[in-house]
Amino acid sequence: MIHKTSPEVGGMGHSIKRKEDLRFIQGKGNYVDDVHLPGMVYGQLVRSPYAHARLKSVNTDKAKKLPGVLAVITGEDLAKANLAWMPTLSYDKQMVLATGKVLFQSQEVAFVVAEDRYIAADAAELVEVEYEELPVLVDPHKALDPDAPLLREDREQKNNHIFHWEVGDRQATEQVFEKAPVKASVHAFFPRCHPAPLETCGCVADFNRATGRLTVYMTSQAPHVHRTVFALVGGIPENNIRVVSPDIGGGFGNKVPVYPGYVCAIVASLTLGLPVKWIETRSENLQSTGFARDYHMTAEIAADRDGKMQALRVKTLADHGAFNAAAQPTKFPAGLFSICTGSYEYPNAFCEVDGVYTNKAPGGIAYRCSFRVTEAAYLIERVVDVLALELKMDPAELRRKNFIPAAKFPYKSSLGWTYDSGNYEAAMNLALEKIGYRQLRAEQAEKRKKGELMGIGISSFTEIVGAGPAHTFDILGIKMFDSCEIRVHPTGKAMARMGTKSQGQGHETTYAQIVAQELGIPAADVTIEEGDTDTAPYGLGTYASRSTPTSGAATAMAARKIRAKAKKIAAYLLECNENDLEWEPGKFYVKGTPSKAKTIQEIAFAAYTNIPPGLEAGLEAVDYYDPPNLTFPFGTYVCVVDIDKGTGEVKVRRFVAVDDCGNIINPMIVEGQIHGGLTEGLGIAFMQQIDYDESGNVQGGSFMDYLLPTAVETPHWETAKTCTPSPHHPFGAKGVGESPNVGSPAAFVNAVVDALSHLGVKHIDMPITPAKVWKVLQEKGVAA
Amino acid sequence: MAKTAEQLVRVTVNGRERQASVEPRLLLVHFIREVLQLTGTHVGCDTSHCGACTVLLNGKTVKSCTMFAVQADGGELLTVEGLSANGQLHPLQEGFKEEHGLQCGFCTPGMLMSSYALLRNNPRPSEEEIRWGISGNLCRCTGYQNIVSAVRYAAAKMANDKTAPVEMAEVGGTR
Amino acid sequence: MALKIEKSFDVGQPVEKVWAFLSDPRKVATCVPGAQITDQVDEKTYKGTIKVKVGPSVTDYNGEVQIVRLDPQNHEIEILGKGQDVRGRGSASMKMTGKLRVLDNGGTEVTSVSEIGVVGILAQMGSRVITEVSNVMFGEFVKRFQAQLQQPADAGESPAASADVQPIKATTVAWAAAKGLFREKS
Repeated sequence: MIHKTSPEVGGMGHSIKRKEDLRFIQGKGNYVDDVHLPGMVYGQLVRSPYAHARLKSVNTDKAKKLPGVLAVITGEDLAKANLAWMPTLSYDKQMVLATGKVLFQSQEVAFVVAEDRYIAADAAELVEVEYEELPVLVDPHKALDPDAPLLREDREQKNNHIFHWEVGDRQATEQVFEKAPVKASVHAFFPRCHPAPLETCGCVADFNRATGRLTVYMTSQAPHVHRTVFALVGGIPENNIRVVSPDIGGGFGNKVPVYPGYVCAIVASLTLGLPVKWIETRSENLQSTGFARDYHMTAEIAADRDGKMQALRVKTLADHGAFNAAAQPTKFPAGLFSICTGSYEYPNAFCEVDGVYTNKAPGGIAYRCSFRVTEAAYLIERVVDVLALELKMDPAELRRKNFIPAAKFPYKSSLGWTYDSGNYEAAMNLALEKIGYRQLRAEQAEKRKKGELMGIGISSFTEIVGAGPAHTFDILGIKMFDSCEIRVHPTGKAMARMGTKSQGQGHETTYAQIVAQELGIPAADVTIEEGDTDTAPYGLGTYASRSTPTSGAATAMAARKIRAKAKKIAAYLLECNENDLEWEPGKFYVKGTPSKAKTIQEIAFAAYTNIPPGLEAGLEAVDYYDPPNLTFPFGTYVCVVDIDKGTGEVKVRRFVAVDDCGNIINPMIVEGQIHGGLTEGLGIAFMQQIDYDESGNVQGGSFMDYLLPTAVETPHWETAKTCTPSPHHPFGAKGVGESPNVGSPAAFVNAVVDALSHLGVKHIDMPITPAKVWKVLQEKGVAA
Repeated sequence: MAKTAEQLVRVTVNGRERQASVEPRLLLVHFIREVLQLTGTHVGCDTSHCGACTVLLNGKTVKSCTMFAVQADGGELLTVEGLSANGQLHPLQEGFKEEHGLQCGFCTPGMLMSSYALLRNNPRPSEEEIRWGISGNLCRCTGYQNIVSAVRYAAAKMANDKTAPVEMAEVGGTR
Repeated sequence: MALKIEKSFDVGQPVEKVWAFLSDPRKVATCVPGAQITDQVDEKTYKGTIKVKVGPSVTDYNGEVQIVRLDPQNHEIEILGKGQDVRGRGSASMKMTGKLRVLDNGGTEVTSVSEIGVVGILAQMGSRVITEVSNVMFGEFVKRFQAQLQQPADAGESPAASADVQPIKATTVAWAAAKGLFREKS
């Protein structure tokens, strides 16, 4: 039972203003580039212009002679310390600085360190590198051809194949397809894109020769994991490493991997005994850090004539770039892609994914994807629409017919996931009502008669977040629990630290609200800290919408441990039995005599001044939470578009987003997350692609070509909620940060295809640029 | 590549006179962040698109990453640190807090400066005018909707409250 | 990044004189701003360098020029040039076909079709910058080609053209590139 707290206390459900805002609105945030240490010097990387080439020589003489240059590090230098390669989060390895060959344009080749960043830039220009070009592989479909260039000579397996992964029942699914009266299929490409948080990646590595301690200020979404990786890779005792993630200007998964720049800065600092700052430029960020998606997917549905879906078959080619650096749980090389059965009942399903290397930047899992859930949700919502078209059925009705009914939860999908709770029909009904679906379909029919193009797109997505239970989930062997430590002070204020790390999600406020809810201490009296590995309990970090499901749960559990002790103290103070006590947020009172009560503040004071015999002093607790399952937020998004027949421009007229993330801590913060994610989805659907030409040159390597939506392109988002709590989460919450990015691309694409389906269009790949639409209009003879 | 002779740059920053000797090629944003040590102004790109570096020079918004410090010599700079006066938040800052117009905070100083200039030129902007006014500032977190609300909040407050600081008259700014 | 550029221009000289000039890489190199032939490897292959300056940005390429096909009957020449940036910032290649046609007024029309490939940071700028830089360089080439051919036939060794490399104005390129976005056909 969730008690309602007063607005002054600010527990669950209150839209209290954010505590972290005060410093940001006054320009007093402390981001990594704001860190300034005495004696600090600057590092800059030298990068390869070639996508695939032998590295013949690296001449650093001229660079080293430039006044103000302290060091120039090459791959050969690192190789002497066994640091030229480092492990990735996917059990592959990646070059820190190139030796032997380079494998993607912008790959790191050398690192210069100088007194200021301008001298470092000058020095980088003076490094002379000799390359011998090799044939380039940019088409993943050619990666497994017998005559394809071999990229990874360092591997035992001499081909470009990284993994094959499958799940489900291939045979049973095949049999259903053979007999199915109706089949629909789509080949959908999810282009390579990039999260592009406004702050790029960087660090200040500070090795103190006097104390032997290494402190790394870095843009990290997972500071503890990074500390452990540095200890293992660098051979430095883990107790002598401190990673500090100060304020982070957006993450979206871009700040989970370990980048060569960090390692080079650490090596430079260890060598020089000085703090070394490395901050990448935006171009470096787009061209070399963790990209997202690049999935070539085929989905097929086998169905009955009345639209009841019987089987789903999925085959995917995954382009991972030159190294498999995707950040994902060990057992899942394709992340949680097998959620691709989505919101529907499939008695049979089979899914297979093959990963390949190409001469492109490494990565794959990023951009609010929940470990490939964006790809999965996009695919299923697209192919369902294709089926609707095939059956000449309304896409909403087809969905309604096939939704997993609310009564069937917890529901085990035929690809192995146990969905905790859901009520898909209720969410869809609310969305259709809010958008005025029936009137819109009538309007569309009228418009079609006049030759005007208007479309309605639905996306009824199911997410899977909150990784995850220890029996299945680990990253590099570290189980994916998370943690919280709470201390209540004598005067009744509190401090809590977690193993996650906010990059804008508002943890300083929302975690305080959880404590407020559980203990009745006003959120304003609870200080939240994250990101300093010296003080915060061990955690796996913030990504994949996992903070509320894991650390949020740990916070509630730790608070409940405190409450259990508080009860003992209260019983002692009130001279009664524990069983005689009732709790309401903020106090224990004697059953039937509410005036006989002790507030949490009084109890806290007593914990230090009037300790019950046999009890330890203090009022604190730690909890390491192993979630029993993942959580499954869901929703329905509906998008209305109008297409300009002259320019091919698509205008989003309206967008209604109904989200269900269970019980909500702070509605204002959730709404902000939805706005932000929908805007990213808009960019992905209409504007964004990191592409490579046949020579491996990056197209989309700066903001000139990689477009982000501004306030002008971004429409007004309409949001609403249904609430289906998670049965296994301590306070029924599910997490929501990624839902809008997961659910929206299909809504946008479905709307555009819907506007053109009467002309025979079944699918258009993202990004849906005006040029692409214009071409279709020309082909169909309807351009103005 | 010998270092070019340094030049003296004199600027009034948030009401306070500052000066320093700098290389002619030093960007204004680095001058602000590293020489003046006002780190509220941020760098978010290398092609002048993102607007995180927006400040006011002689009353006009400029992208400080695309100017040299020497070009600001003799001028008046207003950065985000100069918006609040005597510990009191500017209505825009208040609006961003009240309307949840920020999440990670990285674009916020640039947004505040652009909004400040917008409201000074157009005290009662429509939603469309606000969106145009901040179209030179990219945000990845908020989707702009609450930023628009924040600017609206400030416009309303400044219209009602004649004592709210619209121009930076006195030395303000925390440092 | 592959680009195709077609250009033609007239020279007020008889076709055989123009052919003698065009079929000699050493002579042609004197017309390309910033270029120098440094060595002859065999009868078809030459080594050379070219310095390209756009505003403050300088790129030095080291490479090879090869005569792939020489047809004196039809006055057609095909050459292949490949170079690498000496500082390791990229590479460029060019396959060029040159063809001469006799004009009614006794002069010669020179038509060239070039396929240019660029690898490296320059290629990220896309065709915008490369096309405009090529246009500027070609304009200079035509001027020098025409000027050289006005000289008496026995003027002796042609002067090296790379002695004084004028940087291509970055603003010119940027403006031309921006205008190019709106032109129908460049």
